[in-house]
Amino acid sequence: MNALIHRFRPLGVLLLLVLLLVAPTVGLLDGYWSRTVMLIAILSLLVSGLNVVLGYAGELAMGQVALYAVGAYVAGYLGVEFGLTNVLVALVAAMLAAVVVGLITGIPGLRLGGWSLAMVTFFLVTLVPNLVDVFSDVTGGTLGMATAVPTLFGIEIVGDRLYWLVILVVIAWFTVARNLLLSRHGNMFLVLRQSPILASVLGVSVYRLKLLVYVVGAIPAALAGALFSMLDGFIAPDTFTFALALSVLAASVVGGATSVYGAIAGAAVMQLGQQTFTQFQTWQLVIYGAFLLIAGIAFNRGLVGLAQDGLAAARRRGWLPNRPATAAAPGGDEPVKTPLEPLDGVVLRTEGLSKSFGGNRALDDVTIEARPGEVTALIGPNGSGKTTLLNLICGLYKPSGGRLLLGDQQIGGQPTYRIARYGVARTFQTPLIPKDMSTLAFVATGRYMNHKVGILPAILRLPVFRRGYAADDERAMALLRLVGIADVAGKQVNSLALGTRRLVEVARSLASGARVFLFDEVGSGLDESDLAVLERAIGMIREAGGTVILVEHNFPLVLKLADRIHVLSQGKLLASGPPAHIQADRRVLAEYTGATDLPEEPDDAHAPATPKGAN
Amino acid sequence: MTTVWAGLATGAIYSLIAIGYNVVLLASGTFNFAHAQLLMVGTFLAYTGAVTFGLPVLPTVLLAAAGVAVIALVEERVAIRPLLGRTDSHGTLITTVGAATVLDGLAAAIWGRQPLTVPSVLPDEPLTLLGGTVRPVDLALIGFTLVVGVGLHLWSRHTLTGLASLASAEDRDAASARGINVRLLGVGAFAVAGAVAGVFGLLVGARTYAVFDLGHSLALFGFVAIAIGGSGSQLGGLIGGFATGLVYAFAARYIGAAYPQIVVFGVFLLILFLRPRGLFGAALERRV
Repeated sequence: MNALIHRFRPLGVLLLLVLLLVAPTVGLLDGYWSRTVMLIAILSLLVSGLNVVLGYAGELAMGQVALYAVGAYVAGYLGVEFGLTNVLVALVAAMLAAVVVGLITGIPGLRLGGWSLAMVTFFLVTLVPNLVDVFSDVTGGTLGMATAVPTLFGIEIVGDRLYWLVILVVIAWFTVARNLLLSRHGNMFLVLRQSPILASVLGVSVYRLKLLVYVVGAIPAALAGALFSMLDGFIAPDTFTFALALSVLAASVVGGATSVYGAIAGAAVMQLGQQTFTQFQTWQLVIYGAFLLIAGIAFNRGLVGLAQDGLAAARRRGWLPNRPATAAAPGGDEPVKTPLEPLDGVVLRTEGLSKSFGGNRALDDVTIEARPGEVTALIGPNGSGKTTLLNLICGLYKPSGGRLLLGDQQIGGQPTYRIARYGVARTFQTPLIPKDMSTLAFVATGRYMNHKVGILPAILRLPVFRRGYAADDERAMALLRLVGIADVAGKQVNSLALGTRRLVEVARSLASGARVFLFDEVGSGLDESDLAVLERAIGMIREAGGTVILVEHNFPLVLKLADRIHVLSQGKLLASGPPAHIQADRRVLAEYTGATDLPEEPDDAHAPATPKGAN
Repeated sequence: MTTVWAGLATGAIYSLIAIGYNVVLLASGTFNFAHAQLLMVGTFLAYTGAVTFGLPVLPTVLLAAAGVAVIALVEERVAIRPLLGRTDSHGTLITTVGAATVLDGLAAAIWGRQPLTVPSVLPDEPLTLLGGTVRPVDLALIGFTLVVGVGLHLWSRHTLTGLASLASAEDRDAASARGINVRLLGVGAFAVAGAVAGVFGLLVGARTYAVFDLGHSLALFGFVAIAIGGSGSQLGGLIGGFATGLVYAFAARYIGAAYPQIVVFGVFLLILFLRPRGLFGAALERRV
């Protein structure tokens, strides 16, 4: 029964789509309703474009309406002025125009993040009437412009044929959106939304990825505009209002911004609400605003989120058949003994590295070296500069002085994503974990940069995409097994406990095949068994020839793991040496225990004391 | 020179918006998109006080100040506070736009969609000053905006509360650990920003009319002022607002009535592209 349902699911979807297509022809939809369906379809294009930007990249783009206008006027102008009434030409031209406008507004608007893009795009919407007025020769000004009858290879696209065109374009767009968003790229967008820092540490240029997402989101809006101009046969600036922009935003959050099909649900709610309730006009703004407030605070996954929760609950209670187990973890959660493949470790050296914040010298003239096949530990009290040093190494901070060398290459001051691409991976004191993603998928994002599958193969679901995906999953699964948490592969990664999150981050950093690993207090919050797994994992990275830099408060763990320890105190390097040496160093002891009454020793503390417990 | 005066008077309104954004931004780290709507409500309350109730100037100003402060507090409670402590920061992008839209809608429902004329409290015959003409009420608007902007700038640099506000904008947790009541500061900032917006309702309304969608363009131009001045800089916002107003007035005077918005948009894009931190802003580094 279960298998049957799932076997025929694609077929069922296909049947529904065919039914939707023929509905007006066979008399299921009258003129009013077929127009309503077309309007919902067009609105859902606008909403879907916003979802891509807002739900996946976390940027608010209010300019969908302006792009809608661009699409409508471009299509209209081509038809009226040049007699280019072919719908394919109109749609392609609208898309190109959307890309151009997207770049012009996105390049400055995304420089800063936060509200800049929202304001630039909002501004664009309010400019529509001005621009229409300024270019009134082309646009017909405030009076509007009647468009030519659209055609396709000589056939007039009107009536049912226009209905088919609209539905087919919408199906095509949603296929593209689904294939893009449900891929590593979509996962990376989600990482970007949660934490641009994490995205850059994974080797992604935040700015470029945001620009890409924004431009992609502009395309459906322009398509919608072109379709709208064909549907109404008339374009006037009073269609493209700020109220429409707000209704798109409200539809997005009502349907669920972080979903592919939520756009259709949200668009349907808005369109039907508008048509059904005569009071809607008066209270329109209050309703939109209330939707935004409620959705923003209470249920930020929208209708789709509610539906998913409902389905999950129904499955738990046995009202609905369960999903077939998705690629269950083969082999269970026993940590495996298979060693890592060799890692191409590289020497990382700081030379007189310094960092000041204003007058505060957080790191002062620190020279250390971390060698491949060794674990280099940084210890020191809170505020001694350990994390500052890690932030400098991975490029989150720019050095105020000194050099940072990866092999022979000076990498200090380069952007984070570039340093990540050289093979520097890191974990965070507070693990950075995205929402709406499985653990397996999150670990696989570590491979995003180095095992890249392009966007086009993802959209077209080419074999190369399938192979890449399978390889990513296999690798991620193997790494989860390595750190002993294969059982959580299918769980939402943000539902995991802190200790497990740390292990997930270790797996994620390994997935990139990095050369240098920066582990920031990776042991804190782990219980005994997790610590044992972590110890073994770090041991394996060392065996495999990786360069490990470990920041850790757990002194026994450091003594056990480290080949070389550097002690920082108030931004300065206090001592360096093998564990036995450090353990015997009185200054380190004083720094750690706060003891000042230790017996004074006249000799230089750098001289090795009696080695005890040396390994 | 008349164009300069017109630009400065319009610019004063943009400065006010920028100042309002900054007050909240500095104290609670939130960008309150709905601040322009608070000023819009201020113009309506000034209309209600001065025309509907026929009150004298001072009670009208007090009514508008108190009314808008209360609305700002409600907004903080409904749209901002539930989101404090959430990890993803873009929640307030949605909720403050929501609050702004609700205010637009309510204003349209209560006062109608037609612009209402807010009476000018000062004599209407224009003065001739420095070779240009300017209405006394516009002069008052410019003057009071300068006083408030410079005052808030000095306050944030030289008083304990001001410094505490700067500290908590920098790092809420650290400020909280130093014994600063971060929540109270945030709430207080909303009240102050609301009250200032209300106080200016009468003067702004005399220049713009009271109209329900006044907030849209003010929000945009206020943001351009912030982009020019650098976010979090009261002095920068003040100068940015006046600069925006001047650009607007000169574009309208010398290029054409349809162009000022387009020109300001162009300036906005250029600033974001060339100096994304604003002309007076300092580069901040992000931390982990």
